[in-house]
Amino acid sequence: MGHCISMKPSAKMAKLVPLLAVFFYLVCVSEAVFEDQVGKFDWRRQYVGKVLFASFDSPSQSSKKLFVATDKNIFASLNSRTGDLFWRHVDKMGPEGAVDTLLVNAQDALMVIGDGRLLRSWDTNVGGLNWEVVLDTGSFQAACFVGIQDTVKHVAVLKKTAISLHYLSNGHQKWVENLPDSDTVKYQAVYSGGGEEVFVLGMVPHSHLTITVYSLEDGEIIRQRSVEAPWLSSVESSCVVVGRGVLMCVDNYTQALYTLAIQAEDSPQFRQVLLQSLDLEVSQDFQPVLVSTQPHPARSPLPEFFLQLGPDHHILLQLSEDGSTIAPLRDFQPAFLVSFATTGEKTVAAVMAPKNTTACAVNLFSADSGRRLLDTTVIFPLDANGGKPQKLYVHAFLKKDDSVGYRVLVQTEDHALTFIQQPGRVVWTREEALADVVTMEMVDLPLTGTQAELEGEFGKKAAIQDGLLPMVMKRLSSQVILLQAWMAHLWKLFYEARKPRSQIKNEVTIETLSRDEFNLQKMMVMVTASGKLFGIDSKSGTILWKHYLENVQPNAAFKLIVQRTTAHFPHPPQCTLLIKDKDTGLATLHVFNPIFGRKSQISLPALPRPILQSLLLPVIDQDYAKCLLLVDDQYKVTAFPSTKNVMQQLQEMASSIFFYLVDSEQGTLSGFRLRKDLSSELIWEVVLPTEVQKIVAVKGKRPSEHVHSQGRVMGDRSVLYKYLNPNLLAVVTESTDTHPERAFVGMFLVDGVTGRIIHEAVQRKARGPIHFVHSENWVVYEYWNTKSRRNEFSVLELFEGTELYNSTVFSSLDRPHLPQVLQQSYIFPSPITTMEATLTEKGITSRHLLVGLPSGAILSLPKMFLDPRRPEVVNEHSREENLIPYAPEMPIRTEWFINYNQTISRLKGIYTAPSGLESTCLVVAYGLDIYQTRVYPSKQFDVLKDDYDYVLISSVLFALFFATMISKRLAEVKLLNRAWR
Amino acid sequence: MASPGGQGSGALSTRGGVARRMKWALELSLGNTRGRGDRQSNQGDVMYPIGYSDKPVPDTSIQETDKNLVEKRCWDVALGPLKQIPMNLFIMYMSGNTISIFPIMMVCMMAWRPIQALMSMSATFKLLENSNQQWLQGLVYSVGNLLGSALAIYKCQSMGLLPTHSSDWLAFIEPPQRVEIMGGGMVL
Repeated sequence: MGHCISMKPSAKMAKLVPLLAVFFYLVCVSEAVFEDQVGKFDWRRQYVGKVLFASFDSPSQSSKKLFVATDKNIFASLNSRTGDLFWRHVDKMGPEGAVDTLLVNAQDALMVIGDGRLLRSWDTNVGGLNWEVVLDTGSFQAACFVGIQDTVKHVAVLKKTAISLHYLSNGHQKWVENLPDSDTVKYQAVYSGGGEEVFVLGMVPHSHLTITVYSLEDGEIIRQRSVEAPWLSSVESSCVVVGRGVLMCVDNYTQALYTLAIQAEDSPQFRQVLLQSLDLEVSQDFQPVLVSTQPHPARSPLPEFFLQLGPDHHILLQLSEDGSTIAPLRDFQPAFLVSFATTGEKTVAAVMAPKNTTACAVNLFSADSGRRLLDTTVIFPLDANGGKPQKLYVHAFLKKDDSVGYRVLVQTEDHALTFIQQPGRVVWTREEALADVVTMEMVDLPLTGTQAELEGEFGKKAAIQDGLLPMVMKRLSSQVILLQAWMAHLWKLFYEARKPRSQIKNEVTIETLSRDEFNLQKMMVMVTASGKLFGIDSKSGTILWKHYLENVQPNAAFKLIVQRTTAHFPHPPQCTLLIKDKDTGLATLHVFNPIFGRKSQISLPALPRPILQSLLLPVIDQDYAKCLLLVDDQYKVTAFPSTKNVMQQLQEMASSIFFYLVDSEQGTLSGFRLRKDLSSELIWEVVLPTEVQKIVAVKGKRPSEHVHSQGRVMGDRSVLYKYLNPNLLAVVTESTDTHPERAFVGMFLVDGVTGRIIHEAVQRKARGPIHFVHSENWVVYEYWNTKSRRNEFSVLELFEGTELYNSTVFSSLDRPHLPQVLQQSYIFPSPITTMEATLTEKGITSRHLLVGLPSGAILSLPKMFLDPRRPEVVNEHSREENLIPYAPEMPIRTEWFINYNQTISRLKGIYTAPSGLESTCLVVAYGLDIYQTRVYPSKQFDVLKDDYDYVLISSVLFALFFATMISKRLAEVKLLNRAWR
Repeated sequence: MASPGGQGSGALSTRGGVARRMKWALELSLGNTRGRGDRQSNQGDVMYPIGYSDKPVPDTSIQETDKNLVEKRCWDVALGPLKQIPMNLFIMYMSGNTISIFPIMMVCMMAWRPIQALMSMSATFKLLENSNQQWLQGLVYSVGNLLGSALAIYKCQSMGLLPTHSSDWLAFIEPPQRVEIMGGGMVL
C-alpha cells in the first residue's frame, strides 16, 4: 500500500491520506479492557461530599434508604446497611447548583437549588425527577411543607421579596404574593402548623418582628402584626416555633427566653422568661441555640425543645399547654449533640455524651418526660485520627415489642459519616473528605521482613563493619529465616486450601503490607481539602490509615513532598506536607510516615515569616532525607532538615541552586540564586503586564521523569536530538480581554535558571481554560478557539538539531543555540477537564496522554498523534519513521477509554506513577470519585498476558516430555529386539 | 564359548552350534567334491591356481595425465567460492532489502559460509597439498571467500543491519548530567 502512494498524483493522494490515516488508527495499540478484566486491576470509589442535609426514609426497621444533600451539589441515596450508593444526582458545580434546602415527606424529596432558582421534587424510591419548576428571582430564605388535616399537599417557598405556594403533586404554582415592605423587613422564616394559614416571619433588626398571615387558599393576607423586639437580631438563628404556634426566641444579651403566640388574633406581645429564673446560665461567648421538632408537617410542633447553653451543655425544656410556663425536663451536661426523632406517635431525643477519651455514648430519652429509655445506649468510638462529632441524625423505629429502636448517623468534623446500630456496632463509615482530594503522591511499599533482612545483610554498611565469620553466620541465619518464611507460606497455602473458597479473604492490613514482585502495589497518600490525610492501598482501594489535621483553614494551600522513599531501609520513608494558610500566609509542616500515617517525631524548623514556595533538593543528609528549602517573603531560605551535614553541602552547592517564583497578580516571573548565607539574590525577572495578560499556570518537568532516548531517528537514519532542558518552564497566559476577536492565549517556554525565553507561542482568537502537559521535549496544550468555536490541541516539540551541543553535561548557563521548535495543532471534538502524561520507570515505553473528559471518561491518547512532525505529504522518510500523515481532526475512539463505563464525576486531576514493570504505568484519577487503574501504552511487552494459558502450555510440555520418555524406552526395546534377530 | 576362528564377537558366540562351522576352508584334495561340485561340473576339469580371478585387473600405475587431473581438481576447489558469487548476487537481488525471515536466513548463510571456509583453511590446504600451485590456489580460494563475505556485508549494509549511522548508537547515549538545581513555582 505504502509503495503505491508515492507514485500517485497528488489529487489521488488527497483521497488516500485519510484512508492511510484510518489504517494507522487501526494498527494503533488498542487500549480497551476485556470483559473478564473488569475490576481486576482497577477500582472506583464514589463519594458525595460533605453532608449538609440528611434524612431517613420511612420510620420502619426494615427501611434501608438514607438521603443526603451535600456541599458538592449532590443529592444521593445511601444504603444504610452497607453505606453504598443507591443512586446519585450530580448537579452543576458552584452556586448555581447549590442545595439550599432538602425537605422529605413520604415519597417526595423536595429541594430548592441555586439560591432559590429551582424547585425540584424527586421520587425517593428510584431517584427519578418528579418535576422541576423555575422559581421567580430573588434570594431564597426558607421553605416548608404546608398541610391540612394530616395530608401534605403544598410547599411554601419564602424568598426575599415574595412567597409562593406550589402543589406537591406537580409543582404548579398555586399562588405567589409579594411581601409587604420587603425593602425594610427581612423575612426569614415561614411556618405552617396544619391550619389554613401560612405564617411568614420577618423582622427589622433590633426593632420589631412582623408576622404576616396568608390564606392557604388564595394567598390573601389575613392579618399583619408587628411586635416590638429590640433585642432581636435574627429570626433564623435564634427563634423556633414550639407547641401550638408559640414562637420561642433566645437572646444572649438579655439572657432570656421570649415567647410569643403567633396565631393570636389581637396584638400580641413577647413574654420574657429570664434564664436565671429557670436556674440556667449560658456559657461565656456562646450563642445559645434552640432546637425544636415538628414530627409531621401538617401538625404543630411538639412543646418540648432543646436549649443549648454551651458547647457541651444542653437542656430539654417543655412549654406548658397554655404556653405560659417553661419547665426544664432534663439537664444534659456534658452532651455534645442532641437530636429529635419520631416514630409513630413517639418522639424521642437522642443525646450524645462523652463516655471516656476514646468513645461517646448516645442515649435515647423520651421527649415528653425526659426519662431515659432502657437499653438504648449506643457507643460511638472516637477516632484519634478523626474529627469531633458534628451532627447527629437519628433513625428511630418501633420494634416488634413496641419499644423504640434506633440507628444513628454521626457526621464528624472531617466530613466522615459513621452509621451505628444498636448496641454500638459500627455498620459502615464513609470518608467523604475524599470527595475533595487536593494533591496526592504514590509511595513504594516497604520490603517484607525477610526481604529487608537480606537487604540488611548485603547492605554496604554491614559489609564494612563485619568480618568474614559474622558474615557467614548472618548469611546462614538469613537463610534460616527465608526457609521459615517459606514454610509458613506453604502452611498457609495448605491451611487455606482446606477452607471453602468464599471464606478466604485477602484483606489488606497495614501489617501485611509489602512490596510485590513488580512494585505494582503502592501506597497512595491523598491530601484532602478538609485537612484529612489518607493512606490508600492502590491495589484494593482500602483505606489503610487516616489522619485528620485540625485547624486547617478551608482555603489552605497544600504541597506534598516525599523527602525519603522506602529505599533507605532501616530509615522509614518520610513525607512532608506544607500547609499554607491563605489569610496569614504562614505555613506549617506536617511530617509523617506515608506507610503508617504516623506523625514523625522530628524537630520542625520555626517558620515565623510567610512562606512563598518550597523546593526539594537532591541533596541528602546522613539519614538519606532529601533537603527541602522553604522560601519566605524576604526571599530567605530555611532548610529542612537543617543538620550540619546538609548545611555544609548547601554551602558548597549554593551557587548552583536556583529557584523561581511566579506572582500571577503582579505578572512577574523572577529567578533567584542561593547565597552561601541562605539568603538569595534576584538574577532575572520577566514581567508580563497584567493589563494585557494574566499568568494562569506554570509547569516544569516532573523530576522523576526518565527519558530513555536522547533523540529521534529520522527516515534517513540520522538523529534529531531532543532539547532536554531540565530547567525549562512552560508558562501559560490568558488575555484579560475576553472578546472573542481579541482574546489570546500565550505559551512561553522560559529557562528557569537564566530567565531566557526559549520560545513563545501566542494563539490568537483563543481562550482558556488551558490544560497542558510539559514533559520530555514537548508541551501539549488545549484551548478553546473562539473563531471556529471548537477545542484545539496544540503540540510544541523542541529539538537541538542533528548535533548535540554537549552530550555529557547540561548547563542552562552554557547554551549558545536556541532549539528548533516545531508546532502543530489539531481539532479535538470534546472539551477536556484535565490532562496528564503516562510515566514509566525508564521511559522506554511510548507515551500516552491521559485526557479527562467532562463525561467522566479518561481517554488514553497516543502521543504519536500529537507529533508536529506528522507530514502533510507522505514520503519515504516519513513512512520509514512511522509518522502518521497529518489529519486535522483528532479522533476519540471509545476503546481508548481506560475506564470503560466507570466514569469519574467532576474529574479534577490525574496522577501517574511508574511501576516496577517498564510497560506499566499506574494511574489514579480523582475528583468526586477516585479511580485507580493501570495502563500499558506499548502493551505488555515485558510480562506474560493476564490470560496466558498456563495449564495448556504446561500440560503440553508435560505430555511431550512423557511422550519422549516413552518413545525413548520403546526405541531401546526395539533396538534390542532387532539386535537379537 | 570362544569360537575357533578366534574372532567371534559376543553376539556370534551366543549362537551355539552354528559357531562351530569354519569361517573358511581350503580344499586341497581332488577327490573331495563337497561344495564345489557345481563349479567343477560347469568348467570341466580346469583347475585355477590360488588367487586367480576371471576379471581383468586395472592398471594402477601413475601416469602423466593424473598429475593434470590433480591440478584441475585443486583449481576446482580453489575457484569454488568465486563461482558462487554470481549465484549469490542473483539471490541477493531476488530477496530484496526488506527485513524478514528469508532474507535474514539468506544473509546469514552468505556470511557464514565464507567465514566457515576461512576458518577451515588448513583442511583445504591439505587438499591442495599435491598441487604445484598450492599457494596461488590458496590465495584464490581465500580471496573468493573474502569476496563472498564482503558481499554479505554489502547485503547487510543495504538491508540496514550495520550500525553505521549515528541513530544506531542513540540508545547508548547517557542523559546529560544537570549542573544547576532548580525549583519553585507559583507563589502559594
